[in-house]
This record gives sequence, C-alpha cells and structure tokens, in this order.
Amino acid sequence: MDFHSVISNAGQLWSGLIITLELSALTITISVFTGFIVALLSISPYKVVRLPIRTYIEIFRCTPALVQVVWFFYCVPVLFNVFWEPFTMGVIVFSLNLTAYNAEAYRAAIQAVPGAHGDAAVALGLKRTQYYRFVVFPQALRLAVPVLLTNSIGMIQQSALVALVAVNDLMYESKALASQTYRPVEVFTTAAAIYFVISLIMSRVVEFVGKRTRRLIDAR
Amino acid sequence: MSDAFIKISNLHKSYGLGALKVLNGLDRTIARNDRLVIVGPSGGGKSTMLRCVMGLEDIDSGSIEMNGESYISTGRNGKTVINRALQKQIGMVFQHYTLFPHLTVRQNLTLAPVRAHGISPAKANEKAETLLTRFGLAAKLDAHPSKLSGGQKQRVAIARALMLDPKLMLFDEVTSALDPELVFEVEGMMSELADGGMPMMIVTHDMNFAKNIATEIVFCAGGVIVESAPPQAFFGAPQMPRTREFLKTIRSGGSE
Amino acid sequence: MTYTFDFAILWKFLPVIGSGLLITLQVALASIAVGAVVGFFLAYIRNYSSFIPAAIATTIVEFLRGVPVLIQLFWVFFCFPVIFGIETSPFFSAFFALMMYMAAICSESFRSAFATIEKEQWDASVALGIPGRVMMLYVILPQSLLRAAPTLLSNAVSVFKESAIVSAVGMADMMFVGRNVSSATGHPIEVLTLIAGVYFVIAFPLTRAVSVVEGRILHRLKL
Repeated sequence: MDFHSVISNAGQLWSGLIITLELSALTITISVFTGFIVALLSISPYKVVRLPIRTYIEIFRCTPALVQVVWFFYCVPVLFNVFWEPFTMGVIVFSLNLTAYNAEAYRAAIQAVPGAHGDAAVALGLKRTQYYRFVVFPQALRLAVPVLLTNSIGMIQQSALVALVAVNDLMYESKALASQTYRPVEVFTTAAAIYFVISLIMSRVVEFVGKRTRRLIDAR
Repeated sequence: MSDAFIKISNLHKSYGLGALKVLNGLDRTIARNDRLVIVGPSGGGKSTMLRCVMGLEDIDSGSIEMNGESYISTGRNGKTVINRALQKQIGMVFQHYTLFPHLTVRQNLTLAPVRAHGISPAKANEKAETLLTRFGLAAKLDAHPSKLSGGQKQRVAIARALMLDPKLMLFDEVTSALDPELVFEVEGMMSELADGGMPMMIVTHDMNFAKNIATEIVFCAGGVIVESAPPQAFFGAPQMPRTREFLKTIRSGGSE
Repeated sequence: MTYTFDFAILWKFLPVIGSGLLITLQVALASIAVGAVVGFFLAYIRNYSSFIPAAIATTIVEFLRGVPVLIQLFWVFFCFPVIFGIETSPFFSAFFALMMYMAAICSESFRSAFATIEKEQWDASVALGIPGRVMMLYVILPQSLLRAAPTLLSNAVSVFKESAIVSAVGMADMMFVGRNVSSATGHPIEVLTLIAGVYFVIAFPLTRAVSVVEGRILHRLKL
C-alpha cells in the first residue's frame, strides 16, 4: 500500500471533491423548497394539476437515477436544441430526482398532521391559509426533516453517477487517477473514505440542526 | 432440611453496576410440597427472586441449590454459572402471556419439546392434546394466539410450561394484566395444579387467592425475606412491624 | 439540427434490449436473494451478539450505506484482483457490490423488525429451555421476515434500480445496451425512453405492491 501517489495528486481529487460538493449543495438546497411546492401540488384538489405532478413523481421514483442522468445528457441537447454545461445539466436532473423524493416525504408529513387540528382551527376561528401556515407547515416540517435528510445523503451518493457522463466530480477524478497511477486500492479507498466522511458529517450536522428546530417549534 | 428441594443462600443482586440493590442476602428453602405466595411492596424483590430462580438474571453473589446440587452460583470472575440440566426442571409463566404470536397454540406447545429437548413430534402432539383437553382448551389447539382471550392465552402459556414436566412452577403476576372476569379461569387452573401436588412460587396481588392456595405466605421487602408464615398466621397475627405496616396498606385498598 | 424520430429501430433492436433486460434481472435477483440473507445475519449480529462482533457488523453497514454504490462496484472490480489475487468478472463485481448494498439496507429493515419482538419472548424461551440457535430459527426469523416483508420488497426495488450501474464495468445489462444502441443509431430519445419505460413498468407495480403487502400483513398480524 502506497499512498504517496494519492497524496501527490491530491489536487486532482480535491477539484473533483469541489465539483461533487457544489453539485450536491445546489441540488439539495433547491430540492428542499421545490419538494414542498410539488408536494402541495400533488395533493391539489384539481385533477389537472394533480395528475401530471403525480406522474412526474412516479417516473422519477421508479426509474434508475443513472437512466435519468443518461437520458438527460443524451436527449435534452438533441430534443431542445440547447447546450448547457454538463455541471448545469447534472444539477437539473438531480434536482428533478431529489424533488420527487422530497415531495413524497413532505406529502406524507402533511397528511400525517392530525385532522383533528383542522377542527380545532375552525373552532378557534383560524382562516384556511392561517391554518396551513401556522399549524400544518411547522408540524409537517418537523415530521419530514428525517426523511429529507436521508434523501439528501442518498443524493450525495447518487451524485457519483455523473462521472459516467464525463462530469469531473470526485468519482470521475478518482477513476482517472486510479488508471493513471495504477493504484486503484489507495485511490478508491481514499475516495470512498471522503464520501463516507461527508455522509457522517451531514448526518451529525442536520441532527444538530433538527434538534434546534424542534425546540424552536415546540417552544412556539 | 434434608427434604429441601431448592435452597437459596445469601442471594445478592443489583442493577446498574451496584446502583440499585434489589436482593440483599435472600435466604429461603423450598420443599417439595411448598406453595409459596410472595407478597410485598413494589421493588421489594419479589419478581426478581422468581427470575433468579428461573435463571433469567445474573446474580452478584450467593447461590441456589437444587436437591443438594449446585444450580446457580458465581464463578471465579463473578460471572453467573447456571446448570442448564437443572434449569429444565423449573417452569415459569409471565405477566404478559408471551405466547409466540406467529405460531398456533399447538406449535407454541410443541416447539420447545421437539426442537430443544429432543422429544418426538408424535409424543409432543399427544401430550399437547392431553394437556389442553384436561384444561378445557382442546378446541383452541390450532388457533392463533390473536384469536384467544387474555385468560385463554395465559392458560395456554401455563400448559406450554407444563409440556416439559417441570418439578416447580413459577408464576410472576400472571393475572395482573387480565380483565377481572378472566382472572378466575386462570386461578382455577393454578388451583388444579396445586391439587395435583405441584410445588409453586407465586407472585400475585390477589390476596384472597393467596390465602386459598398458599402453604406459606412469604413477605419480601428491601431485598430480604422479612417474615413468612402459613396464611392464617400471616394475615391473622403478623409478627414483624414491617409486615403489619404492609398489611395495613392492603387492607385499606382491598387487594394490593 | 433537426431530429427525426424513428420508432422502427426499436423493433429492430428489441432482441438486444431483451437480452439486456435478462442480464439486469439475473444480476438483480441474485443480489437481492443473497443480500437479504446476509442482511438478516448482519442485523442479528448487531442486535444479539456481544460487543465486538456487533461493532464490526455496525461499522460494515455504516460504511456500505455512506459510500456510493458506484465506488463499491469499482472497488470490487479493480481492487479485489490486487488484494486477493482473484480475477473479478464483471458479473462477480456487479453481484458482490449490489449484494452488499442489499445486505446493508436489509439489515436496517430487520433491525426495526427485531425491535417489535418483545423482550418477554426471550424470557419465555429461556424458561422453556430453548437455546439461542433454535430461538433464532423458529421464533425470531419467522416473525422478523413477516414484519420486514414490505420494507424488504421496497429494498428489492431499490436494488433493481441501482443495478443500472453495472453497465459501468461492462455488464451488458439494459443500461449498457441502451447507451450503445443510442450511440450506434443516433436515436437516443426513442431508445433511452424505451429503456426507462421498461424499468418503470417493472418498478412501479412493485412499489404499489409494497403498500398492499403492508396492509395485508398488518391485518394478519393483529398481534
């Protein structure tokens, strides 16, 4: 085992890591918000809205992420005659993917807020919008956070797929480096360890944030 | 005493690395015709005593002998040593039926004999049928526990223990979780066993039942046996002040 | 650049796509079956063994869940030969990596199922003189299988979807076929949409089935 080759090429891995982190951060942030919106749309009383949204969610949840990535990268430029940077396409396709999963998480959380609260809201004279804003949203958020967290960590793992469509993220750089240095064990182990540490840190951070939010919500 | 069946000597047990002392030097012999009802305040050590006799708990120090042989003791490094062959002679029934929910009554009864004690399925099935018929549960032989009432489940649990021909039966608050109208059928089964000569140790809150079934009432508090006497003497003329205090609390509240 | 749709090629390449599907199903099913078993043992060790084996099992599972499956796949494919001196065929690497992924997620499912088995059943088993191995086989395994069944099914669907990555080590699965045929014919939209459709047609009903299974099991198990 010789990690020298890894250390001397750390710059290569580092630039890959930056891409992975940027891609993930953008996607996760976008999808936290879009997920909620899509969730609300998916329980809309209007079939015209509900059906297409539900279809979109099912398609993205029931097909492999890799297929989505490849489809996007190969078909969108041809279909819409546009040329976007691979990084941008990565963010778009993963956001579509993560939004679908987040939407399900939000939907389950919204529907888990007890109906009895609705009655109480009426009894207290709250308007419908006030009810959603002050009663449903805080509770739904609290319920959804664990699943959103799991989804986001999952997305970071899936982000490695962009390497297969030539986006130079951490996965791509480690594969390149492994071939260059003929040291797959050291390189891939290092890359794996980096992903692992990211997952670990994310779990801890959001656990911490979750506890603080819960206390805030409960205190209200 | 030479006809002592079980002999508990100086039993100590604590939880949480010594923080909570539950048994404080318990001494007791149990003879072959004993039916002991153990009473006392919560946390006094009643259930723990039973669980130790069954071999479900580790002990800190002391020993339990069966027929003069060492049954439970502590080894060199303080680890509890249990003689499994002797353990087989004791049967126990718990407060919360604990029938295996995914097996039928028949399967519940035959699992241990067939899979753990090498008894042939044919003999085990025969025995199961005999036992259940004896206690009026034969119709439930192939039912799932979810279809039985609490009282029926508890009686099946007792039968399940009886499948292994125990020489001593332990009952840990077996009626405490039952609706009042179901308590009677379970206590009836226990009385039948008593009539058949089965030695038992019972923890119960039903004082009336205790008076009828016990050969001796054992009052356990603070991890030791404070007093023990036949039911008449125990309830009629308690000796120790602590016992009298305890009896006052049950009298004022009905059964404990 | 204008794009002319040509759906006829789908018909022409159907057999190739079919064989890709076959490969996908083979590797997926093998990984699912073996992975579930391994997952059970990992869960059992984590819950019921002494400290060191449990800690090892937990570390393994945490690692498998915190690292992209793609890296695990490459790791097996490229590193096993170096470390163990064995030849790793694409199928072996694919199977091993997917199998460990299934094992990791199933161990979580089984651990949740174990938690629903009351502690008292252990007391009853000791009281009946049932040794650990017998109890695991006849008391714990059946109950946890029943309770974990819906989650196991959804895990299987996840592995089925994840199986698309095996194309990266040269396995001729549906994804691999899809990409190749797309490039060869210059009609990525038709081909890849069909591929996506096949995945969907398999995954979607199974996902629906999970809720149904869940409902029926909860109904059976009024435990």
